[in-house]
Amino acid sequence: MKFRCERDVLADAVTSAGRAATNRTGTLPVLAGVRMEVTGDELVVIGTDLELTIRLTVDVGGERDGAVVVPARLVADIIRALPAGAAEVELGEEELAISAGRSQFSVRPLALDDYPAQAEPSADAVTLSADVMRDALRQVVRAASSDDARAVLTGVLLAAEEDGLRMVATDSYRLAVRDLPESSVLGSGQRVLIPARALAELQRVLDGDDELTVRLGEREVVFEAGSTRLTTRLIEGDFPNYRNLLPSSHPNVLTVDKGGMLEAIRRVKILAQDSTPVRLTVGGDTVQLTALTQDVGNAAEEIDASYDGTKMTVAFNPDYLSAGIDAIDSEEITLSTMDPMKPAVIRGAGVEDYLYLLMPVRVP
Amino acid sequence: MRLVIARCSVDYSGRLDAHLPEATRLIMVKADGCVAIHADGGAYKPLNWMNAPNTLNIDDSTWTVANPKGETLTITLFEVLSDVDAELGEDPGLQKDGVEAHLQELLAARPESIEDGLRLVRREYPTAIGPVDLLCRDADDGVVAVEVKRRGEIDGVEQLSRYIERLELDSTLGDVRGVFVAQVVKPQARVLAESRGFRWVEVDYDDLRGLRPDELRLF
Repeated sequence: MKFRCERDVLADAVTSAGRAATNRTGTLPVLAGVRMEVTGDELVVIGTDLELTIRLTVDVGGERDGAVVVPARLVADIIRALPAGAAEVELGEEELAISAGRSQFSVRPLALDDYPAQAEPSADAVTLSADVMRDALRQVVRAASSDDARAVLTGVLLAAEEDGLRMVATDSYRLAVRDLPESSVLGSGQRVLIPARALAELQRVLDGDDELTVRLGEREVVFEAGSTRLTTRLIEGDFPNYRNLLPSSHPNVLTVDKGGMLEAIRRVKILAQDSTPVRLTVGGDTVQLTALTQDVGNAAEEIDASYDGTKMTVAFNPDYLSAGIDAIDSEEITLSTMDPMKPAVIRGAGVEDYLYLLMPVRVP
Repeated sequence: MRLVIARCSVDYSGRLDAHLPEATRLIMVKADGCVAIHADGGAYKPLNWMNAPNTLNIDDSTWTVANPKGETLTITLFEVLSDVDAELGEDPGLQKDGVEAHLQELLAARPESIEDGLRLVRREYPTAIGPVDLLCRDADDGVVAVEVKRRGEIDGVEQLSRYIERLELDSTLGDVRGVFVAQVVKPQARVLAESRGFRWVEVDYDDLRGLRPDELRLF
C-alpha cells in the first residue's frame, strides 16, 4: 500500500474514524486501531468498537493498493504533527512509513486479519435534511444519560408520530423532546433507540452537508453524509413512558431573555459549588437568581422578566438549567412550573416543536 | 527486589536502537527478572525496561540483560551511589474494582433483586478453577450460579460457563443454571449468555445501596 494525501485531509479522516476506535479492547486489541485501505485513488479509513463504526472515504494519489490497521491515536497524532503539505504513507514488510518533508515515522501495524469485517448496508435509504437533523440533535442529545448503568437512557428515542418524527432523550433528571414535522424515517408506530454517543458523532459529521441518508436495519442504523458513513447498533429495551410527564398547561409562566438568563446563571453558579442548586425566585417583573455554598459564600443577581402566576422559589441544577436554555432557538424563553417540586418546562417563546423538561432540586 | 542508584549509561538493541547517555538513575531489578531504568521524574514509566523472562549477566561494571527475542539492554555503571536488596514477598495484587466487590456483597444480601425467590447458599463458592461469585437456590430449589461484574462483557459470560462446567461435575448439585449480573450487560454478552442458556440481569448499584431517596427524578 502506498499513497500521497494532504496532511490536513488525512489527519481529519484518521481522527474522525479513530473516535470510534476504543482502548477498552478486551479480547480484540485490534479495535484500538483504524483500518486504512487504498484502492486506486481512494482511501477508506474505518474505526470501530463493534457498537459504533465510522467509515470515511478520501481521495488520495494512490500508487499501490493495500490495507493496514494501525494504532488510531498514535497515527492521528503523527499525521497532525507532520509539516503542512502532502504526506506520503507506505506499507513496508513490517512497518507503516509516514513521511512529509524531512519528517519520517514508522509504526508497527496491528493484526489486519483480526479486524472485524464490515458489511455493506442493505436496508432501504431515506433522505433527511442535514440542517434540520443537526439542529434537532443539538437540542436533544444533551439530555441523554452518560451512565451505562441504565442503558436505555444512554439512547435517543426516535418515534414515528402522526405528523412526522419525534426525538426524545432523558437522563431521568431532564427530558428533551423535539418534533420534526414532515420528516419520516420510521414505519407507522415504529420506535428505535439510538445510542446518544453515536448521534453526538453524527452531529460533528453533519457539518456542512446538505443531505443525510438513513438506513434503518433490524439491529443497527446507518447514517451517510458526504464521504462519511456512521453505523451504530440500536439499543434494546423499553424507553420510559414520558408522555404523561408532558403537561398540557402550567399555571405559572416566566418569560425572560435567553442571553441575559444564561449570563446570570453563568455568574451565579460560581457560588453553586458541591452540587448545590441555583434558586430562582419569581413573583414580579424580575427573576432573582441566588446560590449559596455553605462556608464559602453566596451570589445573587436580578434580571428583568415577565411573570404570570404565584410567587415562588424553585431550585435547579445550574448546568442542567443552562443546557436547557442554551438548546432553545429563540431570543426569549419561557419557564413554566406547577410548583417547586414538579418538573418545569422550558420552551422558546411561541415555539412549539421543542421542549426541555427539568426536574427541580429539593431545597430546605 | 534490587535497587541500584548509579551514574550510568544504557544502550538498548532490539526493535530499534536507543541510547541513554551517562546520568544518575535508578536501576530496578525485580525478582521475576524484569529490569527497569528510572529517572528522577515521571510517575511510573521507566526510561527503558526489559520484561521477564530475562537473563542478567553482571560483568564488573557492565550489566547485560538479554531476552529470548534477541533484545539486549547494556547498562554501564560509572559510579554506584546506593545498592539495596530487599525481599518483598508475594504481593496480594491490586484491588482495582471496589464497586464489583461491593456489588457482589450487596447482591449476596439481597439475592431477590436478581430474581424473585432466589436465596443465597454461599458467596465465593469454591471450584477447582476459582470461586463462583454467588451460589444460590431458586424458588424451585434449583442451583443457580451467579457471576457478578460491573460491566458485563463476553469474558464474564465465558467465565460463568467455565464455572458451571466445573459445578456440574459435582453430582450433589445436579443441574446448575447460570445468571450473569452486571450494572450494564453489553449486547455481545447478552447474545452469548442467551446462546449458553443463561439469564442476564442488569442491576442499579445506587438503588442497591439505597442511595438517592431524596432526589427528585422524572423516572
